[in-house]
Amino acid sequence: MTLLGSYLTLAAVLFCLGLYGVLTKRNAIVVLLSLELMLNAVNLNLVAFAKYGMIPSLTGHIFTLFTISVAAAEAAVGVAILIVFYRRRVTVNVDEFDELRR
Amino acid sequence: MFGLNLDITGELAAFFILAVCAITGAVMSLNLSRVIHSVLSLAFTFISLAGLYVLLGAEFAAFVQVLVYVGAVTILMIFGIMMTRQDHESQERPRPLTEALAGIGCLALFGILFFTIRGTDFPAPAGTLPEDNVGEIGRLIFSGFAIPFELMSVLLTVAFVGAVMLARREEDDLP
Amino acid sequence: MATVYAAYAWLVPTLPLAAFALLTAFGRSLRTTGAWVAITASLGSLVLALLIAGERLAGAEDYSQSFEWLAFGTATLHIGIDVTSLTSLMMVIVTVVGFLVNVYSYGYMRDDERLTVFYAYVQLFLASMLGLVLADNLLMLYIFWELVGVCSFLLIGFWYHKPEARDAAKKAFIVTRVGDLGLLIAVLLLFWYMPGHALDFSSISNVFGNDGGTISAGVTTLIALLIFLGAVGKSGQFPLHVWLPDAMEGPTPISALIHAATMVAAGVFLVARTFPVFEASPEAMTTVAVIGAFTAIFAATIALAQNDIKRVLAYSTVSQLGYMMLGLGVGSVVAGMFHLFTHAFFKALLFLAAGSVIHAVHTQDIREMGGLAGRMKITAWTFGIGALALAGIPPLAGFWSKDAILAAALEKDPLLFTVGAVTAFLTALYMSRLFYLVFAGKPKDGSHAHESPAVMTVPLVVLAALSVIAGFVETPWYGGFGEWLTGESARHAGYLAMIIATAAGLLGLYLGWLIWQKGTIDRKALAARMSGLVRVLERKYYIDEFYDLVFVRSLRGLGHMLRRFDALVVDGVVWLIAATAQAVGRLNTRMQSGQLQGYLLAAVFSVVILVLAMAGRRLW
Repeated sequence: MTLLGSYLTLAAVLFCLGLYGVLTKRNAIVVLLSLELMLNAVNLNLVAFAKYGMIPSLTGHIFTLFTISVAAAEAAVGVAILIVFYRRRVTVNVDEFDELRR
Repeated sequence: MFGLNLDITGELAAFFILAVCAITGAVMSLNLSRVIHSVLSLAFTFISLAGLYVLLGAEFAAFVQVLVYVGAVTILMIFGIMMTRQDHESQERPRPLTEALAGIGCLALFGILFFTIRGTDFPAPAGTLPEDNVGEIGRLIFSGFAIPFELMSVLLTVAFVGAVMLARREEDDLP
Repeated sequence: MATVYAAYAWLVPTLPLAAFALLTAFGRSLRTTGAWVAITASLGSLVLALLIAGERLAGAEDYSQSFEWLAFGTATLHIGIDVTSLTSLMMVIVTVVGFLVNVYSYGYMRDDERLTVFYAYVQLFLASMLGLVLADNLLMLYIFWELVGVCSFLLIGFWYHKPEARDAAKKAFIVTRVGDLGLLIAVLLLFWYMPGHALDFSSISNVFGNDGGTISAGVTTLIALLIFLGAVGKSGQFPLHVWLPDAMEGPTPISALIHAATMVAAGVFLVARTFPVFEASPEAMTTVAVIGAFTAIFAATIALAQNDIKRVLAYSTVSQLGYMMLGLGVGSVVAGMFHLFTHAFFKALLFLAAGSVIHAVHTQDIREMGGLAGRMKITAWTFGIGALALAGIPPLAGFWSKDAILAAALEKDPLLFTVGAVTAFLTALYMSRLFYLVFAGKPKDGSHAHESPAVMTVPLVVLAALSVIAGFVETPWYGGFGEWLTGESARHAGYLAMIIATAAGLLGLYLGWLIWQKGTIDRKALAARMSGLVRVLERKYYIDEFYDLVFVRSLRGLGHMLRRFDALVVDGVVWLIAATAQAVGRLNTRMQSGQLQGYLLAAVFSVVILVLAMAGRRLW
């Protein structure tokens, strides 16, 4: 009996927590943080399958590396956008980022 | 959940402790009132995850996780917090309906994932991972995964150029 | 003998119908001219009807003419006319009384501003009644039956400003409707069971008359009882008699025409026309006789305690119709139709005379009348003749027809005969009460009654003459009427019935004279001693109250419930749909807020639902 199921469940828990944060939090920074949490959960899934999957190989690890890189790049761009937005309307409240409506 | 035919091995104990740390960090990061505390507890989660990677025999991944996530992303977020004023927190009006719905949606999603995991019969792994991770990963990157690797570097370049462009002050904004 | 005039029989109902059309179209502009149009049309019908009857008396054969109206599947519906002794007799009755009423109304309704409307309705009624009489199949009869009911409704409620008139019209229509439903079901049953779906009367008499056995006894009885139900409604027999007294809210000429002579006789006519069905079912015949006898005595007792001159006459009509049903029920079509014939004349006479009185004193309460004999000689004399005819005093017409019925009843069932004799006594009693209270005694102070104009008194005289001589067509010694009508030979029964009936009538008149004229028996003391009985009679045995409690209230309550249900449930469903649409709209407005997190929430839900929908089964 492997621990694969446990790792996957843990990843699911973290993912759902992150999703909750993205959907609910008002502060844009916290939204970005929750997004990072979700991506981490995915990484955990990948690494767990790399070890305990049908054919253990290092592909999972490499995929994880790429995911981490993409996540970092995206975090950077996200914070940059946040700063620009903050300059326009002095708030980090997500509720007020609704200019798409108009 | 997995039946009580599991031996209390060290692996299991380590997994349990690290899992608890990860979840605690995540939950606290959502619930703490000051953003800077949220960032720090999320960093704690990242570290626990790195520990889990080690447990899974992915040392290089653990190393990169600590380096990038804890080292870079967390600092990035802190910079973001520093550059924006965060004193609006107390004025937020609660949105019980949205929170309830989001809770239901997330629980539903978790339920689906959980029941899928439980219902799946995972076959025993056919082999083991190679001992020397770093070397092997290196070899794979430059042979099989060369193109994604190159693309990744392009992506990172584009990302940081974009970030700089976006966050650059306009001429008239200069003091 | 050749039938010359019978071929034009279709003109008889058409002339009043044409008058109706003219009056409806041009009514506003003509007033008295309209009345003359109506009178001319009814005169034309009268002349033609007399010619046809005369032809038949001379021995002509039955004439009928029929058109295919509607063919569907295996069945065809016809329209046609049928000139037999029975129908030509009815035609004469209807046109004679109709013509006289038309003339009379010219005087009675002269001051009414809706005169032409009135005449139009009367002509429509005459057309419908004549159509009913001439109909050669039961479906056509039913159609005209309903038309006649409609005309009655229109005419009862003619003075629609009065709420009592409106209520009376509704009551008449609804109560007769109950009976009409029975007739409709009977027509449907006949349509179902008759070979070839034939509904004409000759087929009916063929199928039922030969003790055929084509149709089972149970069904035959059912059909007969249902037809009788229709007759009960239209002719005001118990228990559907309640509408007739209330129908007195209509103008008096109408009461004379419709509710004395013609429409109420339609029930009797119907039973006579479908008599083979009744002959085939002894149970139905007995029912007819029993209900007729009961109604006769029942209504006679009520008439004793009424104070409105028209109501007394209305209950008298109900009672006499009971007599006619009794005559039919004991198996004698001749007796029933003979009484219908004579009753039409003297009852119409009584009503028109009552109208003359009402026209003069402007009240209908007999307690406020008195001593009119001196001022209104013609009215008083003709009323007296009518009253004597009704009471069955020889040699007036009523005596011969009542005797025919009682003799037939005596042969069949002595109990029925006794009931009939007692009713004769009561009839004489209430008629003498009526006569003495209205015409005898001293005039009330300040009454300025005067005789009515000739337009009104001439019809009275004509009808009075008819009430005297009409009876001689059928006596125990000379049975010309009976032979002509049905081919039965003159019956010569014993004198027992005759003697008892005459004695009962004379006794009633004498008692009435004692109480109301001479005062030998003090009526106030009598009323005081029997006050309970008097009250019950005056309130018509509380039948109206009973119907109100049992039927009207429950139906009205049901109506309220259904209305509430409609407003709540049906309208509620409609409201719900509209509200749902609005709510969904509002919800969607909120989702289009521009808030990213809202969109993401929707996305999460969509994914969850999608996964559940696609793979839900495998998760368990």
